[in-house]
Amino acid sequence: MKTIKLFILLILLTGFYSCEKTTDPPLNDILSITVSNLYAPQSGGQGQPITGEFTKFEFATGQITTSETDWDIAFRGTSIIVNGGTSLGTIDEPNRTGQAAAYIENGTFVSVNEVDPTLLITDSDSGYAIATGSDNGWYNYSGGPSYLITPIPGKVLVFRTNDNFYAKMEILSYYENAPSDPDSSVNTSRFYTFNYIYQSNGVLTF
Amino acid sequence: MILNKNYFCIYFLIFFVNISFSQEKVNITLDTVSTNFLDQILVTATRTPRKSSALPFPVQIITESEIKSTNSLRLNDILNEQTGLITVSDFGGGEGIQMQGLDSQYTLILIDGAPVIGRLSGTLDLKRFSLGNIKQIDIVKGASSSLYGSAALAGVINIITNTPKDGFSGDLNYRAATHKTNDIGASLNYKKNKFGISTYINSLSSGGYNLTESEVLNTVEPFTNYTFSSKLTYDLSVNTDLYFSAKYYSQKQDYVASEILEGKSNIREWNTHLQLKHIYNNNLKIHFEFYATRYKANEFLDDNTNGIRFSEGFYDQLLLKPEIRTTYTFSSNSVFISGMGLKHETLDRSYFTLNPIFNSPYIFVQHDVKPNDNLNIIIGARFDSHSKYKSQLSPKIAFRHKLNNQLSVKGSLGYGFKAPDFRQLYFDFTNATIGYTVLGYNAVSTAIPILQEQGQIANIIVPVSEFEKNLNPESSIGINLGSDYYFNSKLKFEFNFFKNSIKNLIDTRVIANKTNGQNVFSYFNINEVYTQGLEFSMNWKPSNNFKLSTGYQLLYAFDKEAVNSFENGEVFARENPSSPSFELNKSDYFGLFNRSRHTANLKLYYKSINSNIDSNIRLTYRSKYGLLDENGNGYLDSFDTFVNSYIIIDSAINKKLNKNYNIAIGVDNLLNFTDTQNISNISGRIIYTKLNIQF
Repeated sequence: MKTIKLFILLILLTGFYSCEKTTDPPLNDILSITVSNLYAPQSGGQGQPITGEFTKFEFATGQITTSETDWDIAFRGTSIIVNGGTSLGTIDEPNRTGQAAAYIENGTFVSVNEVDPTLLITDSDSGYAIATGSDNGWYNYSGGPSYLITPIPGKVLVFRTNDNFYAKMEILSYYENAPSDPDSSVNTSRFYTFNYIYQSNGVLTF
Repeated sequence: MILNKNYFCIYFLIFFVNISFSQEKVNITLDTVSTNFLDQILVTATRTPRKSSALPFPVQIITESEIKSTNSLRLNDILNEQTGLITVSDFGGGEGIQMQGLDSQYTLILIDGAPVIGRLSGTLDLKRFSLGNIKQIDIVKGASSSLYGSAALAGVINIITNTPKDGFSGDLNYRAATHKTNDIGASLNYKKNKFGISTYINSLSSGGYNLTESEVLNTVEPFTNYTFSSKLTYDLSVNTDLYFSAKYYSQKQDYVASEILEGKSNIREWNTHLQLKHIYNNNLKIHFEFYATRYKANEFLDDNTNGIRFSEGFYDQLLLKPEIRTTYTFSSNSVFISGMGLKHETLDRSYFTLNPIFNSPYIFVQHDVKPNDNLNIIIGARFDSHSKYKSQLSPKIAFRHKLNNQLSVKGSLGYGFKAPDFRQLYFDFTNATIGYTVLGYNAVSTAIPILQEQGQIANIIVPVSEFEKNLNPESSIGINLGSDYYFNSKLKFEFNFFKNSIKNLIDTRVIANKTNGQNVFSYFNINEVYTQGLEFSMNWKPSNNFKLSTGYQLLYAFDKEAVNSFENGEVFARENPSSPSFELNKSDYFGLFNRSRHTANLKLYYKSINSNIDSNIRLTYRSKYGLLDENGNGYLDSFDTFVNSYIIIDSAINKKLNKNYNIAIGVDNLLNFTDTQNISNISGRIIYTKLNIQF
C-alpha cells in the first residue's frame, strides 16, 4: 500500500516529528498524522510590528519546507496563513503562489468529514483566511493572570492545499511538548502540536 | 457649587408652596397582623409606610439591633449574611451585591430613598457605607422600576439612617481588629420642640492584608476613610416637616502596581437631600424633595525610579434630582400615589470622547388597594423619558391574598430596566501595552474613522452604520410568587419562587481587527439571560432569649443562546488542554459565571437578660462556582475549573456593663477560610473587640 510506504518514509525522514496511524479504515488515499513541536517563532509584537520568517508546512510530506512555492500553510506566532490569495502585507510575509484556501468548522475532528468548497476563502490584503486574534480564529487568549493561548475546543481547520487537495486539522497545543497542564511562565510557546488528515485523492471527504 | 440659579428657584418654590397649605392631622393606616414577630414598617416597597409582613412583594428588613449584635462595620458585612444575597468583588476591588442571581449593576442602592452614584465599572462598592448610624436596611426583591426607574431590575436596597429623637443623647464607638483595622465612630442626637439634629462621624483605617506571596503587592492595600453625616429636622407646623441631610465620605488608599510603580487612589463623595413633607388634609400628603450628589475618584501611579508620572485616571459624576410626590388616601383601603421628577447627570472621566450630560424626566403612579380584608392589590407604572436612549415604561402589578390567619400567598410581575451607562456609550480606551481598543457605542462613529486614517484598522467586522440607532436599555421581566406561613406565633416560614428574564443585555463584541493583531471592541445589545430559583427562609423564636433563623436560595442563571448552543451540539471541550475535542451535552452547561447553585445561612441568637449578655453565631454557605472559561469554548461547563464551595462562620458576644457601657468581642471567619487564588475579599480570621459608650 502506498500509504504504508509513505508512513515508513515519513518516520525515517521527520526525526523530531512523531507520527501515528489512526485505526479508521482508510478511505481512498488518506494520510493521518500528528505533528509535534512545529516551531513558529516571531519577533516584535506587544504593540511593535511583528517580523520574522513564517514556518512553511506541506501536508503531503508532513514536513516543514523552505520552498518558495511548494508549501500549503505557514505559521508565525499565532498567525496561520495559506498559500493562496494575496499577502496581507506584513513584514517578512511570503508571496502566495498556489491554490490553498481555508475555513474553520465547528465540530470534533471525527465529525468534520466533508469539505464544503463554498466556504473556502483565501488570504487577502484585508485579512487571513484563518482569522487572527483571540476567539476570532483557532485560539483563545486568557489574559491575566494565566496568559495562556489555548486552541478553542471544537474548531477544525479545513484546508485546500497549494495543489488542490484537501486536509483537515485540529490544533492541540501551542506549547512545547504539548503539556497537559500548560503554564505560560514555564512552558515555551509557539510550538504547535496538531493532528491532520490529508486526502491525496482530491475528493471532498475524509 | 452646583446649585445654579435654576435649582435655587426650585428650593424657593418648595418653601413658598408649603405656606399655602392648610394644616390638619391624619393618621397613617397600618396593616394588621397577629403574631409575636416584630413587625417593621417599611417605606421602600410602596413609598408609603407599610407593615413588612403584609406586603405583596418579597422583602427583608435588617434591623439596627441585628447590625449592633453582629458588630458589622460596613454594608457588605451585613448583606452577605442575608438569604439570597451574596457580595461579589470585582477586579477593581469593589464589592457589589448579587441579588436573585443578577449582578451588582442591576440592584439599586438608596440612602433614605435617594440613589447613590459612583459605579466605576458597574459595581457599587458596598464598603463605602458605614453602618454606624443606621436605623434599618430595607431589601425589596424583584423588578422595581415602576417606582424607582433605572437599575432596579433585581431589586432595591434602601439604607435608612437615624432621625433625631427627643432629648439629647449620643454614643461613642471604638473597634479594633486584625489587620490593624480601627474603627472609631461618634454620634450626637438632639431634639427639642420643633428642631432636631443628629450628627455622625466615623473613621475606618486598615493596614490592608496580603493573601499572595508577593512582597511588593498587597491583596488589599492600606486605606483610611472618613464618613461625616448630619440630619436636621424642623417641624414648621403640626402638618409640615422639613428635613435636610448631608453626607460626606472620603477615602485614601495606597495604589501599588509593581515594585517601581506606586501611587494613591482617592475617593470623595457627598450627598445632600432636602425634603419637605406637608399633610394637606386627611386625604392628601405631599413630599417635595431635592437631592444632589457628587462622586469623585482619582488615581495615579508614579515611576519611583525617576519620579515621572506613569498613569493617571479620574472620574467625576454628578446627579441632581428634584422630585414631587403626592399620597392620596381615598380610604384606609385605597391609597394612590403619584410623583414626578427629573434626573440630571453629568460625568467627566478619563478615556471619554466627551463630557456627557443625561437628562431624564419621569412620572410614576401607583394604586394600593384592599378590595376586602384578605386581599391587597398594587398596580403601578413609571415612565422615564431620556435624552440618550429609548424612553421606558415600567409597569408592575402585585397581589397578596390572606387565605387564613396562618397562610398567605403573594405574587408580583414587574418590568425593570437599566439605562446604558456612560462607559457603554462614550468610552474610548486603547490599552497601552497590549494594544486593544474599547469604544463606547456612541463613540464608534467618530473613533473608527480616526483609527482608519491612522492605518490601525486591518478590517471592519461590524460596519459603522450599525451604530446609528440608539443602544437599548437592558430590560427584564421579573416574576415572584411566594407564600408566608405562620406555623404558630413562634415559627414562621417564607417561600419565594423568582424568575427574571433579561433582554438586550449589553456585552462587548469585536467590531474590527487592528493591524497589530488586536481587536477593537464595542458594546451591543446581544444576550438574553434568565435567572430563576427558589428562596426559603425560616424564623423560629421559641422564647425571648433565643432566636434561630435559616435561609436558602437555589439558583439557575443561564444565557439563552448558550443553552441553544449546547442543545444543538455546537459546544466542545477537551479532557485537558492538549487532548482532542469532544462534544458537550446540555447537562454540561453550568450557567453564568460567579453564580452558585446553592447559598444558605444559619443564624443563632441567644440573649441572657440576667447577665446582660447577648451572643450569636452565624454561618453562611456558598456552593461551587466558576470564574473563568478555562477551556476557551466561551461557556462555563463541567470541564472548567470551579471555585470550591465554602463556609464562613462569624460569632460575637456583647455585654452590657451598665447603663452607659457596652463591650463586645468577636471572631469573623472563625474557620480561617481563604482561597488565595480566587477570592480576594475574604482575608481570613478576624478577631475584634469593641467598646461602646452611650449617654
